[in-house]
Amino acid sequence: MNLLSVVVFLPLAGAIAAAFFPPAEAGQHRALALVVSLATFLLSLGLWFGFSAAPGAPEFQFETKAPWIASLGIGYHVGLDGVALLLVMLTTALTPIVVLSAWNAVHERVKEFMIAMLVLETAMIGTFAALDLVLFYVFWESVLIPMYLLIGIWGSDNRLYATVKFFIYTFVASVLMLVAIIYVAGHAGGTFDYVQVRQALQTTASAQRWLFLAFAVAFAVKVPMFPLHTWLPDAHTEAPTAGSVILAGVLLKMGTFGFFRYALPLFPEAALHFRPAVAALAVVGIVYGALMCFVQKDMKRLVAYSSVSHLGFVMLGLMALTAEGLTGGVYQMLNHGVSTGALFLLVGMLYERRHTRLISEYGGIARRVPWIATAFVIVTLSSIGLPGTNGFVGEFLILSGTWLGRLAHAPWFSAVAATGVILGAVYMLILVERVFFGPMGNAKNSTLADLSLREWAVLAPLLLLIVVMGLVPQPFLNPAKLPVDRLVTRFVAAEQRLRNQDPSRPPTIGTQPTPVLAGRE
Amino acid sequence: MNALPAGDIAALLPMAVLMAGALVLLMSEVFLTSTRRGYQAGLTVATAALAAVAAVAVPPAGRVFGGQAVVDAFSTFVTVTVCGGLALSALVGAPWLHARGAERGEFYALALFAATGMCLLGSASDLLVAFIAIEVMSLATYALAAWMRRGRKPAEAAFKYFLLGAFSSALFIYGTALVYGAAGSTLFSDIPRASGPLLAAGLGLVGAGLAFKIAAVPFHLWTPDVYEGAPTPVTAFMAAGVKTAAFAVLARVLVTVWSGTGTSAVAIGGVVTVLALLTMIFGNLLALPQRSVKRMLAYSSIAHAGYLLVGVVSAGAAGARGNAISSVLFYLAAYTATVIGAFAVVGALERRGAPGEEPADSWDLTRLAGLARRRPGLAFAMAVFMLSLAGVPPSAGFIAKLLIFKAAIGAQAYGLAVVGVLTSALGAYYYLRVVVYMYMRAPEAGEEQLALSPALSVALAASVVAVVVLGVGPEPVAALARAASAIGP
Repeated sequence: MNLLSVVVFLPLAGAIAAAFFPPAEAGQHRALALVVSLATFLLSLGLWFGFSAAPGAPEFQFETKAPWIASLGIGYHVGLDGVALLLVMLTTALTPIVVLSAWNAVHERVKEFMIAMLVLETAMIGTFAALDLVLFYVFWESVLIPMYLLIGIWGSDNRLYATVKFFIYTFVASVLMLVAIIYVAGHAGGTFDYVQVRQALQTTASAQRWLFLAFAVAFAVKVPMFPLHTWLPDAHTEAPTAGSVILAGVLLKMGTFGFFRYALPLFPEAALHFRPAVAALAVVGIVYGALMCFVQKDMKRLVAYSSVSHLGFVMLGLMALTAEGLTGGVYQMLNHGVSTGALFLLVGMLYERRHTRLISEYGGIARRVPWIATAFVIVTLSSIGLPGTNGFVGEFLILSGTWLGRLAHAPWFSAVAATGVILGAVYMLILVERVFFGPMGNAKNSTLADLSLREWAVLAPLLLLIVVMGLVPQPFLNPAKLPVDRLVTRFVAAEQRLRNQDPSRPPTIGTQPTPVLAGRE
Repeated sequence: MNALPAGDIAALLPMAVLMAGALVLLMSEVFLTSTRRGYQAGLTVATAALAAVAAVAVPPAGRVFGGQAVVDAFSTFVTVTVCGGLALSALVGAPWLHARGAERGEFYALALFAATGMCLLGSASDLLVAFIAIEVMSLATYALAAWMRRGRKPAEAAFKYFLLGAFSSALFIYGTALVYGAAGSTLFSDIPRASGPLLAAGLGLVGAGLAFKIAAVPFHLWTPDVYEGAPTPVTAFMAAGVKTAAFAVLARVLVTVWSGTGTSAVAIGGVVTVLALLTMIFGNLLALPQRSVKRMLAYSSIAHAGYLLVGVVSAGAAGARGNAISSVLFYLAAYTATVIGAFAVVGALERRGAPGEEPADSWDLTRLAGLARRRPGLAFAMAVFMLSLAGVPPSAGFIAKLLIFKAAIGAQAYGLAVVGVLTSALGAYYYLRVVVYMYMRAPEAGEEQLALSPALSVALAASVVAVVVLGVGPEPVAALARAASAIGP
C-alpha cells in the first residue's frame, strides 16, 4: 500500500467506522476521531521523514497511479512535492488539535460533527496530494460539503446565511475551473494527468489567458483575494471554533496552493500577463484587510480580516516570482495556518467561557487568566511578524523577494505591503490591550478560569511551532526549495519564449542584477 | 404473408416480457380475490429484471422489421435504464399506494405497458414506430397520472397532461406526414436524403412533439402542474422513464439527420442549441423560488433536460459524437437513480389529509425541517440525491455533468458548457436549501411518526448505492455507455 494513499483515506475510513457507533455515545465519537486523526498524523510523519529534498530527488514522491475512469483519461494519481508535503503536514497536525479543541465546545450531534471533521481531513489531504486534474477537482469540491455542514449546523446565530454564502461563492467560482480543466485535457492529448498535461498542453495565447482566469478566480475566492473575500468574514464569524481553525488554517491555503501548483505552472505566459493586476490586488488586500481590522467589534471578525491581509502577503510573494518571494509565500502559508489557527482557538476559548466575542465585553482579564493572556501575546507577536517568531521569516522573505524582483514597480508593491505589517502590529496590539489589559471593567469576567489541561494540550504544539519555526526555519524551508526553483525555471523558459517573439520585452523574472540594486540603495 | 424472421421475434423479447408481466398482473386482479397485494410490486420488479436480462442476453440483432427498429447496444442501454427505473418506481409505489388504499394490479400493469413503449422507443428507427411507441407509453402514463383522480389537483394534472400530450402527439404525427411527403419514407435513415422547406417543417413539428415529452423550454408549461399533481411514484417514473425514452429517440433522429449532408442539419443544431440554453436557464431560474419540494423537483427536471440537450447538441459535431451520445446515456442512467430516490423521499414525507381534503403544504420545505434528527437515514439519502442533482463530487450527478460538458467542449460548444456550469451552480442553491432544512433547522412541533416500509427502504438503498457507485467508480457504466454510443446509419 502506498503510504500517501493511506494517509489520504485513513480519516475517511475512520468516518465510515464512526457511522456504526451509536450517536448517543458522544465520548466514543470524540475518542475515535482523536485516535484516527492522531494516527493519520503519525503516519504522515512517515511522509515527512521519508521525503527527500536533496537536489536530485524526484519531483513527486510517494507517487502512485491507477486507472480510475480510464476511458476518459482520468486516473487516481497522487504524489507529493515539497510544498504539498508541508501543507499535508499542516493539515494532519491541525486536525487532532481541532478535534481536541471541540471536545467540550461541541456537545450536540457529536457523531455527525466528528464524521464531518474526518471527511474534511480526507478531502483536504487529497486536494494537496492529487496529481490528476479531475481527482483534484473532486477533492477540492468535496471539501465544501463537510465545511458547509460544520458552519451550518454548529455555527452561531447567523449561520445559515453564512454557510450558504460560503458554499455558493466557492461553488460558482469553481465550476468555471471545471470547464477549464476539461478544455485543458482536450488540448493535452485527452489525459487529465497533471504531469502529462503540464508537458503536453498546447493552447493559443488568448485561450491560455481565459484558462488562467478560470483557474485564478476559483483559487482567488478560496484565498480569498480582494475583492472576492466577502464570504470570509461571515463564514469565519459564524463557524464553530473548529471550523474557523480549519477554514483559516488549511482551506485558505488550498487557494494559494492552487496558484502555486496549477494556475502558475500550467499557464505561465498568461500568468505573466495578469501578474501586475494580481500583485496589485494582493497589495490592496493587505492594506484593506488591515484597515478593516481597526473597526471590528467582534474578535473573530477581526481575525478573519487579518487573514485577508496575511493571505495578501502570500499572494504577493507568489507573484514576485523570485526564489525568495515564492519561498516566503510558502512559508507564510504555514505561518498563517499555525498562528491564525492558534488565534481562533484562543478566541474560541474565551467564547466558551463568556459566550461573547465582542471586544468591549472584555478588558483587563490578564490578571484572571494569565496563561491565556500569555499565549495570546505570543501568538500575536507571531502574527505581526516579530523577529524570533515564524511570522518574521515569512514576511521578511516576501517583502525582500518582492523588492528585489523584476516585476514592474516592485519596490512600490513591497513598500505599500510593508505598511500592512505596521498596521498589523497596531491593530493586533490594540486588540491585546483592549481585551487583556487595562482595568477590569466587566464584573462577569471576574470568574474566568484559566487554561485547562486539555486546552494546554491544544495550544502547546502551536506555541512550540511558532518558536521553532521562527528560530530554526531551515527544516521547513528545505522541502519548498526544489518546487520553488522548478517554478522559477518554468517562468524563465516562458519568458524566453515571449522574448523570442518580442525582443524588446523587458525581463521580469528573477531578481534584479546587482548594479541596479546598488544604485537603488 | 411471409413469416417474420426469428431474429425479429427475438428482438421483441424484452418488450414481450414486460407485456406478459402486465397481462399477468391484470389477470391477477380478476382471478385472485385476496386483498393482499404485496406480491404485485414484487412481480413488477421481477418482470423488469427479467426484461433487462433478456435485453442483455439476446445478442443485438441490428436492423429488424425492415429497418423500422434497431436492436443495438444503445437500445439495450435504454431498455436496462428504463427497467431499472420501473423497478425502483414500483418499490416506491407499493407503500405509497398501500398507505392510501389505492394499490391495484392495474397500476403496475399500466407502468409495465408504459415501460414497453419506452423500450420500443429506444429501438425505434422509423417515425411511425416511434409514434406508436410514444402513444403506448403516453396513454399508460396518462392513466397513471390520473390514478388518484378524486382530488382536485390530481384531476387537473391528469387532464392537463392528457390534453397537452395529445396535442404534442398531433404535432408529431403531422410532422411525420410532412417528412413522408418530403422524403417518401418515414425511416430515419431516409430523412437525410431529402431536403427543402417541407422536410424542415416536418422535422420541426416532430421536434416540437418530442420537446413536449422531454419538457424543454418553451414546451415545458405542463410539467410543474402535472409533476406536482400526479401521484408521487408516478411522477418519479415519468421524470426518469419518459425522459430516458424521449431522449433516446431524439438522439437517434438527430444523429441520423446530422450524419447526412443536408443544409438543414446546421439550422437544426442551432435550434437545439437555443432550446438547450433556454431550458437550462429557465429551468433553474424557475426552480429557485419554489417552496414545494415536489414542484422544485419538477422544475429541476426541466433544468436537467437542458443539460441533456447540451449533450445532444454536441453530437452535432462529428468528432464529438461518440462522447456526446455516451454522455447522454450516462446522464440518463445517473438521473434515473437520483430522481427516483428524491421523489421516493418526497413521497414518504408528503402530508396526507383526510379524504377529500388537500392540504396546501403537502410538500412544503418545512416538511423536511429537522429530518436529520427524526430520520437520519432518510435525510442522508435525500442529501446524497440533492448533491448528485447539484453535481457536487463525488456523486453520479457530478460524473454525468463532467461527461456532458466534456462532450460540449469537445464539440467546441464553449458557450453551452459555460452556461451549463453556471446554471448548475445556480441549481446548487435550491438543492442545498433542502439540505439546510433537513440538517440545520429544528423539526416542526407535533410531527407524526414516519414509518418506512421495507420496499421503500430497499428502493432508497438501491438508489443511494447507485448514485455513489456511479460517482466513485463510474468506469463500468461509462464504458457500457461508450460502447452503446455508435448510433446512426
